[in-house]
Amino acid sequence: MVRIVDSELDQEDLPSPLPMSEQEEWSDVVPIPQDDGRHPVCPIAYKDDYREMTDYFRAIMAAGEVSQRAFDLAGRVIDANAAHYTAWVYRKKLLLDLGLDISSELDWVSRISERHIKNYQLWHHRGALLELLLDPKGIADKTQDERMQIPAIRRELQFVGEVIDKDSKNFHAWSHRQFVVRLYGIWDQEMAYVETQINQDVRNNSAWNQRYFVLTANQPADVFVLTDDVADKEIAYVMDKIKLAPNNESPWSYIVGLLMRHAPNMLYERLLPSINALAAADEYALAVSSTPFFWSALVDIYEEQAKALAGAEQQQAEVMAFASEACESLATKYDPIRAKYWEYRKQTLKTASAC
Amino acid sequence: MSQASDPVKSEILLVEKHVEYVKSLDKKHDEIEYWMTEHLRVSGVYWGAVAVHLLGRGDALDRDGIIAYILSCQNDDGGFGGHVGHDSHILYTMSAVQLLVMYDALDKIEAKRVVDYVAGLQDKVTGEISGDSWGEKDTRFAYISLAILSFFDAVDTIDVGGVVSYVQKSMNYDGGFGSGPGGESHAAQVFTCLAALAIAGRLDIVDRDRLSGWLAERQLKSGGLNGRPQKLEDVCYSWWVLSSLKILGRVHWVDRSRLCGFILSAQDPDAGGIADRPGDIADVYHTCFGIAGLSLAGYSDCPLVEVDPVYCMPVAVIEKAGLRGWASRLPKEWK
Repeated sequence: MVRIVDSELDQEDLPSPLPMSEQEEWSDVVPIPQDDGRHPVCPIAYKDDYREMTDYFRAIMAAGEVSQRAFDLAGRVIDANAAHYTAWVYRKKLLLDLGLDISSELDWVSRISERHIKNYQLWHHRGALLELLLDPKGIADKTQDERMQIPAIRRELQFVGEVIDKDSKNFHAWSHRQFVVRLYGIWDQEMAYVETQINQDVRNNSAWNQRYFVLTANQPADVFVLTDDVADKEIAYVMDKIKLAPNNESPWSYIVGLLMRHAPNMLYERLLPSINALAAADEYALAVSSTPFFWSALVDIYEEQAKALAGAEQQQAEVMAFASEACESLATKYDPIRAKYWEYRKQTLKTASAC
Repeated sequence: MSQASDPVKSEILLVEKHVEYVKSLDKKHDEIEYWMTEHLRVSGVYWGAVAVHLLGRGDALDRDGIIAYILSCQNDDGGFGGHVGHDSHILYTMSAVQLLVMYDALDKIEAKRVVDYVAGLQDKVTGEISGDSWGEKDTRFAYISLAILSFFDAVDTIDVGGVVSYVQKSMNYDGGFGSGPGGESHAAQVFTCLAALAIAGRLDIVDRDRLSGWLAERQLKSGGLNGRPQKLEDVCYSWWVLSSLKILGRVHWVDRSRLCGFILSAQDPDAGGIADRPGDIADVYHTCFGIAGLSLAGYSDCPLVEVDPVYCMPVAVIEKAGLRGWASRLPKEWK
């Protein structure tokens, strides 16, 4: 999934208005123009300043030059076109070969990041730098609070936080947060962060996904154990959020998915009474009972309950009838655009109850 | 309206305009986008080639020129860069190989070099696949590695179990997949994971109904599809969502008529091409995935070439390459 990234030449970081060919610093380098070959399919035509910059960059790479100016030039090429991944690779190699300061490099990435915030290479570069700067093994004996005092960690969380403040669903930024949280084991602060984000925008699915990530500490379904206490707490939390915006896919999907994976019995023992109570409360009845997510949750819950009622045929049939009615309501009334889906669900319910 | 599933008749697909648009792409040297996209030129050619092939105009582009160009992008490590002189990356290696297959020229390269390059990107301990020698991990690369190797009948040269395990760890509570373990579900990542599992013959690990429901949920009132909850619709998800549903055997769970209407409304009626959504400027990426989406949705006003949902190439090409076997490796209960 490669996307074309918006990018523009930024003049402020250019050291001199003179063309490189007239600068003393570069007089020893013979630029190498782009070889577009003889094939008419893809000739490249550059804007002049970018073309000159990349001609020199090509020459530097061809010579394998390891120098501060080569490092700076790679940075300028990146800032002009952050998706130029070859320039990133060369810059990192030079950073290591020259033994340059990693913190300063992180600061540089921060400075150019605003223009290239959806660029894959930028985020990967940051992650690699962070690992070089602070080895997680070195802080293994520290508490989470102590870890939160380490400048490198604080700076990183602040950086990602600022990006998320500007674009609360930035896929790269949330991935990077997960990387940092997992790398340094700083789970406690992350739950507080998630709550802040959900409070700011209860429809932010990225934040709900992060809640699951933190709650399960990214352990697989067969390892993580959800206690009844925690499940109750999560149900109560979700109910509060559903009240704010009943027709919001994220909390419904979160709680049903969480319980289905980690405590299926809690779906019908605790979640069902909670959502039914909400749908019966004067204040919320209309909004809750008209959202497809409520009905969809009912289908999932009843289906799970029916499984648990194997052997109790009459009760099972009753629960199946509820599930079937919910599918019917969805197909005809609350979610007709996905009628085919709900018809299928209804049909497979019948099959299951017949078994 | 809810029952409608026959593609719409009100708007038509501007076949000739789109062919001309794709052909004109290498002539726009004065436009900034042209040189800023140098690093992914190989993928750009792939998107254009798929678009014209699906429109039934596979002869529209200069075959010999494309083959020569692709060959010039191969590096000493066996991989391909996004353009001449750029470092190898698995993304562009995929596009390059797909183009050579589409133009029946895979024999122009040495299979072993490409296979060794791809196999070398797998972490021997975790089974994860990197995008380049630099180590970025992503479920996109899991798919691409298996796809490339399948063209050379060399899937067994990597640890397929390791790749499958990485994909499985990236499965979420909503049934979808993210870019890695813990990552939010995203329709494009869902496609890459399903296609990877299809090639590996391991779709049995998918929660078919839950994931299909989540994918169907991506359709908005406009008829268009989004990639995640609460995001805007975008023509490219016509491909990512529908190809996923096609692999799952559930394309009919979205309203295809309304989806076709949305894609057609994003066409540029003057210059050709398709944009991300109505009113925006067309580009080759959305043109490719809009047309591929129409093909999957069964748009019937003009004959579109059938597209393979795992490889995003014409079915006939994939058949000729002997790679339609994924369809026979679906879990028994799906058939």
